Amino acid sequence: MAYARRLEQSASLLAVLAIWAVATMFVGAVPSLPSPVEVAVAFVDAAASSSFWQEVGRSTFRVYLSFAIATVVAIPLGLLIGRSEVFSDLTFPALEVLRPIPPIAWYPALTIILLTPANIVRFIIFLAAFFPILLNTIEGVRGVEEEYPQAARSLGASPFQTMRHVVLPGALPSIYTGLVNAMGLAWVSLVAAELLSSSGLGYFIWNAFTAGEYPNIVVGMIAVGVLGYGSSALLRRLGARAIPWLSAANA
Amino acid sequence: MSEPNTDTTTRSDIDEQSDEQFRSWTESSGTGTVNIQDLRKVYGDDGDELVAVDGMDLHIEAEEFVTVLGPSGCGKSTVMECIAGYLDPTEGEVLVNDEPVEGPDPSRGVVFQENRLFPWKTISENVRFGPQMRDDVDESRVASLFDQMGLEGFEDAYPNELSGGMQQRAELARLLANDPDIMLMDEPFSGLDAMTKELMQEKLLDVWEDDDRTVLFITHDVEEAILLADRVVVMTARPGQVKDVIDVDLERPRSTDMVTTDRFNELQRRASESIHDEAERAMEQAEGRA
Repeated sequence: MAYARRLEQSASLLAVLAIWAVATMFVGAVPSLPSPVEVAVAFVDAAASSSFWQEVGRSTFRVYLSFAIATVVAIPLGLLIGRSEVFSDLTFPALEVLRPIPPIAWYPALTIILLTPANIVRFIIFLAAFFPILLNTIEGVRGVEEEYPQAARSLGASPFQTMRHVVLPGALPSIYTGLVNAMGLAWVSLVAAELLSSSGLGYFIWNAFTAGEYPNIVVGMIAVGVLGYGSSALLRRLGARAIPWLSAANA
Repeated sequence: MSEPNTDTTTRSDIDEQSDEQFRSWTESSGTGTVNIQDLRKVYGDDGDELVAVDGMDLHIEAEEFVTVLGPSGCGKSTVMECIAGYLDPTEGEVLVNDEPVEGPDPSRGVVFQENRLFPWKTISENVRFGPQMRDDVDESRVASLFDQMGLEGFEDAYPNELSGGMQQRAELARLLANDPDIMLMDEPFSGLDAMTKELMQEKLLDVWEDDDRTVLFITHDVEEAILLADRVVVMTARPGQVKDVIDVDLERPRSTDMVTTDRFNELQRRASESIHDEAERAMEQAEGRA
């Protein structure tokens, strides 16, 4: 059973690999596209060098740091906006205007206010992760039926305790959806921002391009894909553990 | 926190005095009295108003068990939510222990037809919720409630893993763990099958006869209303007000086999007659709306 499932799940990956291999087998069909074998060789080379792992580490750390800050800011803000009409009116319009601006579009503006490239990248990832977490928190809070906070108040919970023990856990499934989305977008923006800066995996990809080391472009791309996938998988696993009541069997 | 020792003698004297005063005061008005005066509750705004309750008066003594019987949509839940502090009266007053109700309070516990156990907390966490919020969990009390409600072995289960009857027992345990003076119950057993319902009624009677609480219990089941109550309040169709109050003079402790006695039948007939016209009116209203 588990084996068959694994096989199904790898089908799409194998298909991508097959299309790629076929496209490069006919020389000239797609000029200059490195073949899977070339990329594999380049990967072995890269894996042997410390600079590749340095970029991987740098990018991963950036994503996780900015993601953590976004989580810590967006969840409390979302709880307040979702719960208080006044607070929502005071803050939400400004946030709604900022939201459609693609994080990468902040790059020039952040440069002219003299942030360092590293801080710009951090800020851009923060922005990318912030909005999905915020919006999903708000939605989750508004989805908590009023009966539960009422019941909590009747049992003597203070407004803060009601938030902590009732509203937050009630909104948690939606918050986790936001976190998983945010993690994906964080990686997307990381690469975009790093293409314009001078370190990290985005820079690795861009550098390979300008230096004409085409297989390394693909090595960088795959690295981003795998790291992004791994981060989301990690979050899903943590999420399932933090929301045990949803997986509790319906007896 | 601790006071200087020099004060102790005089302080305890004063305490004793005020204790006595307090006792005499509580005896006259009681803890757990409910006073509803000329209550009016209107939903919606101009043009699309719905008068749910109008001119409702009701006095409930401390430790009294009152059931409210009324046709659907007569505003009985509205009355209860005003006492719970979930709704503000449009006009009139709701007094509990002679004080106007201001928001929900742990001295007024509430149970509804659909259980409101927190889905994200285990049964044990749910039952402890009230005391836990005050950092004051009485373990032996919690244990005896689990025993009394037949919930042992389900401490770590989540509410969605329990049957409907068990969920209601857990909810009742959660309410009792909080030791409220007043229990407000809105058709708590009407979603249960007949057998479970009967068991729950007996449990509730046990609980109520054991310790002194005021109960306001809403139902549309005439038999249930009489079996449980000291007084049955019959409400009119919307806008709701008190139509009739029936004193139930059946002896206590009550049990479910009393329903076959002559006196029970007589009371039941009276209540049924009283509610019949109102139910008809409520039905006409519902048709008019649809």
